Amino acid sequence: MLMVRAIVRPEKIDEVFAGLMYAGFPAVTKMDVFGRGKQRGMKAGEVTYDELPKEMILMVIEDQDKDFVVETIIKAARTNSKGAFGDGKIFISQVEEAYTVSSGTKGL
Amino acid sequence: MKEVIAIIRMNRMNKTKRALAEAGIVSFAARKVMGRGKGKVDYLLLKGAEEGIEEAIAQLGPGPKLIPKRMLTIVLPDALVSVAIETIINQNSTGSRGDGKIFVCPITDAVRVRTGETGDAALDDAPTAEK
Repeated sequence: MLMVRAIVRPEKIDEVFAGLMYAGFPAVTKMDVFGRGKQRGMKAGEVTYDELPKEMILMVIEDQDKDFVVETIIKAARTNSKGAFGDGKIFISQVEEAYTVSSGTKGL
Repeated sequence: MKEVIAIIRMNRMNKTKRALAEAGIVSFAARKVMGRGKGKVDYLLLKGAEEGIEEAIAQLGPGPKLIPKRMLTIVLPDALVSVAIETIINQNSTGSRGDGKIFVCPITDAVRVRTGETGDAALDDAPTAEK
């Protein structure tokens, strides 16, 4: 199993969720985060923003779904066909076990 | 070392914290999150949406409805993982959807910022640690 942590723009979150749900992945968790990339934030006129609000999506999927899920998120989260700084990043890590609390059993 | 990530109902947070402390697991991090699981979508709604019926699509909404939950992140030595999972399941299982999920992920290393210790010595809940 793999954990997918995607950091995306807040205004794109609805699109990403809809895309994931219609692709067959309704189970997602989101959290509000702040952060910046290599560009060190952004400047809008006089004000420099060191940390920018983003949304982090957390989902756990089977190994074979990884490429499809990553593609779905990228397609929904990118600002236009070329993309822009601040569109986000996706991180994939390992999950060894998963338990469903309501039944107490092992597995997604 | 393992990271136990548990997503549970909001109203079970305090009970779970107390039960974990009694089991010897005191250190953790918590956040409010929004999320959903497989959920229950009426089959007829889905069928209607596929056929392009307006009302069905409107009912499904633009995206999944998110529900506030609490996420606990606990980093533990391997020996304590099953204790943590059992405690969380006992305190949170009501048998209905929405109780939550627990994920166990490997952790490559941990560092205690105060002293620079690494590995299991950096964790507060090591079985040999004094309480």
